[in-house]
Amino acid sequence: MIPRVLVAIGVLAICGAFSIWWRRREGRMVEAHGAFDRRDLGIGFRDKPCATVVEFYGEGCAPCVTVEQRLDKIAETVCDLRVIKLDAGDRLDLADRYNVRRVPTIFVTDPDLHILWRASGVPSEEAIINALLGPEWAGRPNPVESRAAERG
Amino acid sequence: MATRMIDRNGHRWGAGISAVVLYAGLIFDARWVAPLICAVLGVGVLFGLRYSPLGATYRFVKRTFKLDIPMVPEEETPPRFAQLMGFTFLLVATIGFYSIDSAALGWTLTMLVAALQTLLGATGICVGCEIYLVGKRLSARSAA
Repeated sequence: MIPRVLVAIGVLAICGAFSIWWRRREGRMVEAHGAFDRRDLGIGFRDKPCATVVEFYGEGCAPCVTVEQRLDKIAETVCDLRVIKLDAGDRLDLADRYNVRRVPTIFVTDPDLHILWRASGVPSEEAIINALLGPEWAGRPNPVESRAAERG
Repeated sequence: MATRMIDRNGHRWGAGISAVVLYAGLIFDARWVAPLICAVLGVGVLFGLRYSPLGATYRFVKRTFKLDIPMVPEEETPPRFAQLMGFTFLLVATIGFYSIDSAALGWTLTMLVAALQTLLGATGICVGCEIYLVGKRLSARSAA
C-alpha cells in the first residue's frame, strides 16, 4: 500500500507544482512592442483616447468574461479609456499578427496605439491599472487623478 | 440558439469528488473506480452537465446546508469537452484493467484524470477547457 500512497502523493505534488507555475504566468503583464492599426480596431484618425485596451476573447471562454468585467469596471474609473474586444476566432488575421496563442489576451496601448504591455489569462485589476498608469504616462495627465479632481 | 450555462462551482465540486474517489481507488487497489467515474462522467457528456450526478451532489449539499454560495455562470461546452476527455481516458483505463489486464496502463490513465480533476477542483484550472478553446481556434483557421 505504501508505494501506492507515494504515487498518489507524487501526483498531488506534480499538480501543486503545475498550479504554482500556471498561477505565476497567468495574467502577468509583460512589456510588449509593436502597434495596432487604427483601421483594424475601427478607431477614427481624429480619435485619441488616453489609452486603449485591446482584448482578444473566444466564444465559450469563461476567463474572458471575468476579464471583460474587470475592464468594464476599470473603464468607469479611468477616464477616456477605450476597451476594444476582438473575437480571436473571427479575427484570425489579427490574432496571428499579434501572436495571440490563447484567450483571453489583452494589450495595453498608449494614445498612439503603440503596444506597451500584454497579458494572457486573467490579470488582476491592480495589474491592469498599474500598466495603464506606468512610466509611459510621464508628461500626460494621470487619468485617475484627473477624474478624482473632476469629482473633488 | 441560447447558450446553456452551468455553475462553475458545481463543476469544480464534481472534479474534487471524482479526484478523491480515484486517489482512494489507487491506494486501496480498487480498479472498479475507473469504470464508476467513467460512467458518471459519461452521463454528463451524453445528457449535459445539468444531469451530471456529481453536479447533483453539489446542488444537494448546497440545498441541505443552505449554503449561500452565488452561482458562477459558465458556458457549458468547454467543461463538457473536458469531461469527454476524462471519460475517454477512463474508458481506455477500464479496457486496460479488464480486457488486456494491464494495471500500468489503467492506473497511468486513471492518475492522469485524477491530476486533471485535482487541478480543476483545487485551483480552478480547467486544462480540458483550454484545449477546447485552442482546438476551436485551430478549426476556425482550417475552415478559413
